[in-house]
Amino acid sequence: MDFASLFGAIGQIFTPWPFFMLFIGTALGIVVGAIPGLTGAMLIALTLPLTFYMEPFNAVVLLVSMYVGAISGGLITATLMRMPGTPASVMTTFDGYPMARSGRPGRALGLGITASFVGGLIAWGVLFTVTKPLSILATKFGPFEYFTLIMMAMVLIASVSEGSLVKGLISGLLGMLVSMPGVDPATGMPRLTFDWYMLNGGLQLLPVLIGTFAVSQIIKDCLDMGKLPDRAEVNNRGVLMSLRDFRRHAVNMIRSSFIGTWIGILPGIGASIGSVVAYTMAKNVSDHPEEFGRGSEEGIIASEAANNATVSGALIPLIAMGIPGSVIDAILIGALTIHSIQPGPTLFLTNGDIVWGMIATALIANILMWILMTSSVRYIANLIYLPRSFVLPVVMMFCVIGSYALNNTMFDVWVMLMFGVIGFLLERAKIPLGPFVIGFVLAPLAEQKLRSGLMMTAGDISPIWTRPFPLAFTIIAILLLVWPIVSDWRRKRRAA
Amino acid sequence: MEHRPVTEIGVSAFVAAICAVFFVQASRLPPGSFEPLGSGPVPKWTAAIVILCCIAVMARGILRLRAAGGLAASAREEFTGGRPGGAVLMLAGSVLYVALLHFKVASFGIVTFVFLTLLIWALEGLRPAVLLPALVTAAVAAFGAEYLFTNVFTVDLPE
Repeated sequence: MDFASLFGAIGQIFTPWPFFMLFIGTALGIVVGAIPGLTGAMLIALTLPLTFYMEPFNAVVLLVSMYVGAISGGLITATLMRMPGTPASVMTTFDGYPMARSGRPGRALGLGITASFVGGLIAWGVLFTVTKPLSILATKFGPFEYFTLIMMAMVLIASVSEGSLVKGLISGLLGMLVSMPGVDPATGMPRLTFDWYMLNGGLQLLPVLIGTFAVSQIIKDCLDMGKLPDRAEVNNRGVLMSLRDFRRHAVNMIRSSFIGTWIGILPGIGASIGSVVAYTMAKNVSDHPEEFGRGSEEGIIASEAANNATVSGALIPLIAMGIPGSVIDAILIGALTIHSIQPGPTLFLTNGDIVWGMIATALIANILMWILMTSSVRYIANLIYLPRSFVLPVVMMFCVIGSYALNNTMFDVWVMLMFGVIGFLLERAKIPLGPFVIGFVLAPLAEQKLRSGLMMTAGDISPIWTRPFPLAFTIIAILLLVWPIVSDWRRKRRAA
Repeated sequence: MEHRPVTEIGVSAFVAAICAVFFVQASRLPPGSFEPLGSGPVPKWTAAIVILCCIAVMARGILRLRAAGGLAASAREEFTGGRPGGAVLMLAGSVLYVALLHFKVASFGIVTFVFLTLLIWALEGLRPAVLLPALVTAAVAAFGAEYLFTNVFTVDLPE
């Protein structure tokens, strides 16, 4: 374990400018995570243009701290309004809200904040210890290993996304398809440009991201406007957990953190799934399963420890292999690429300072998140009642600025609006957006690896089943594709 | 609502149509001259799989439509509730805003100020009491952002 590099990065973070970024990032992340309708993905996508002229280290510090803050901030809205501020906090609503309604909002928030902190800390430990060995292993991957790994990731994302496997596949493959117009990197010839010169450079990640995640969300929020529930009063009573609480909930907290970390590591699966699995597990092993859904302390802890643990967990495949562990990681990949940093297994060698910056930020932002949330949760809670008719138009303005800033062209702004409408329509049809963005980010890499692999073998595709890793990844992908069909068939047979 | 068959069929048809266009375009690409695969096959087969998946979703949607009592009944259930006016207002306002910026009708600050004031006011139901807060919010956001982005962050804005 490279403690020297870690301490070096921590030292660098505690210099004025990076620390300012860390503070702003964590605080903004918490606030945006707490405001219903605004998500961490939206915040990070909109912040990307601001990082163009920053030092890459500062940019990474800002974005990763926003990631940590946003996942944590969702807890506030979930507890006080029964509306998950971020999708990751859905499970927290089941117990956080009943507990808050029963006159213990401080206790509910306190349990969630501390569980988030512990979840983040445990996952960070795994991030610190596992990432470098995994990246060393990944350097041995050839083109076919990478291609099959990405395909497996895509199937995995599609199979666990909200809705059916088929809809997940539509989303992921459509994302892959729309990343393909532009100059073909292998031949240098334009393809799928429809003789339109504006498409020669392809569709850029930032407008597509902002459109898909921010504009579609704004349209959706306008459709749901006026649904805010009653205001709940918050005080700081019970926000700090006692040592007795720690002892009582230690097993649940540690178990849920490891579940969240593991699910975060799986490519493309974000915090939502992590908290669902941890919550279900906690309920199954609990002595009081009947309390779940009625204000159970165990429920809040399981959900929050797991969803925060996915943050560091999801950074592992990003750093070690260049594969995003979640939608926000896909945006982080975009951020690295904009700063001319190629994510992948050689990142430790080529940009060690950036990698260690990410790892150190995940730790310090987690600690700062705990301090900020325990000290100021009652003030942050007031922000969640901001009228959306005032907030959403301003966010739309930032979307326009963000899309324009990449290339200073209005074409990108129109692309953003178009993808906003597409994203909205896909969501209305219950087609998940996560696979779309991850497909968009991974497709160029997948195609490049497949084509370079085929060039090396003169068109022979057999390494996919003659080499151990590609074979394993392919088998897992096939199982993931077949399993829902088999389980559906078995369920129908049992019902008959 | 767990399923929206009308929306699912419509959106799947739309996605399938886009993919069909991509499929045709990709089929016309020449084969690779120095590499086995060439530019066309990956987008072509990706589009083909998406079309197949869309057909599957449409077929399932049609079955659900029948079970739900037909198109009219399903559509009534799917398209009621919420505030569609707000969403349309936001979308139309944004398109107009981007068009004004595109054709450089005025500076970013002024166009944004007008866009924000009118949109906030309209979303609040054109209540006179909201006009002043809308004006203040719009002024702070529009001119504040213009100053911050051009002078502090040195990010170019649409002019």
